[in-house]
Amino acid sequence: MYATESATLVAIVQPRLLNCRVALPSTAEVMTDVAHAEDWVLLAYRLPREPSTPRSTVWRRLKRLGVAQLGDGLVALPADARTREALEWVAEEVIENNGEAMLWLGHPADAAGRAAIRERMSAGIAAEYQAVAVEALASRDSDTATRRRVGARLRRELHRIETRDFFESEQRATAVHAVEDLAARLTDPART
Amino acid sequence: MKWATRARVHVDRAACAWLIRRFIDSAAEFVFVEDPADAPPDVTGFDMRGVALSHHEGRCSFETALLQFDFAADPALEEIGHIVHEADLADDTFDAPIAAGLDALIRGVSLISATDHDTLAVTDRLFDGLYEHLRRQLLSGRPPA
Repeated sequence: MYATESATLVAIVQPRLLNCRVALPSTAEVMTDVAHAEDWVLLAYRLPREPSTPRSTVWRRLKRLGVAQLGDGLVALPADARTREALEWVAEEVIENNGEAMLWLGHPADAAGRAAIRERMSAGIAAEYQAVAVEALASRDSDTATRRRVGARLRRELHRIETRDFFESEQRATAVHAVEDLAARLTDPART
Repeated sequence: MKWATRARVHVDRAACAWLIRRFIDSAAEFVFVEDPADAPPDVTGFDMRGVALSHHEGRCSFETALLQFDFAADPALEEIGHIVHEADLADDTFDAPIAAGLDALIRGVSLISATDHDTLAVTDRLFDGLYEHLRRQLLSGRPPA
């Protein structure tokens, strides 16, 4: 197993996956991952004001990745092989569009900064989960076809949010429950 | 011919390596580097920063390769391009529900493989199978039984 891919193992020990029958990594491996989890990958970039299309394309890509915006043209993600590569490609795209981009690795210098950035990212993700839960609840009493359609779309939306949920949001369970409840109503006549 | 890409291959690099070996250079030799700057001078790089066969204009490297080697006439390869794009970039440009499964399979294969060559030995077969599946689907108009 590749040592530098060990960050991937963090996903295996997340509580929501514990009921899967997987061989858990040793404590030593997990502890290394926790230490690594404090590293951040940062992208400093600058794009010309015009044309505006590349600017919005790049920003949409960054939003989808779930970056924390630290300043004008400075974004950050918790570092692992996947987030680093994703930001490398965004950097390439910026450069292809006559901009400037540079990737950095680092971490907040103090605990307060660390807490602040985590809190900001968690609040954003919590709001996304909550929007899904609200939408699922709003469709509870719709007809079967609508519930099926809304349920399928919200499940996809949940998967997208999960890819950028770096700090295991507590709101996830509520959103998943609301969406699965929508699906359960399709098969359980007592609940329709 | 020698080809180089970044070590610890994932879906886009695995797909490119398969395309190269299957359709472009059956005697292809692959070199895996930690840093694009470490690539030997006599090799063709792919899916690395600063090379032609890479991400360009919103396309993943596999899609760039299809364009560059003129595979436009093969709709099964084009469909694999859409799947690899979504597995790699997940930006909803294409409707490719297979992408999430392919992403998980290749990540898993790389976790149980000792070297990138071992990973590619498995992913080559995965892409052979995916190609055959899509080819038959396109011929008959429906998923093969």
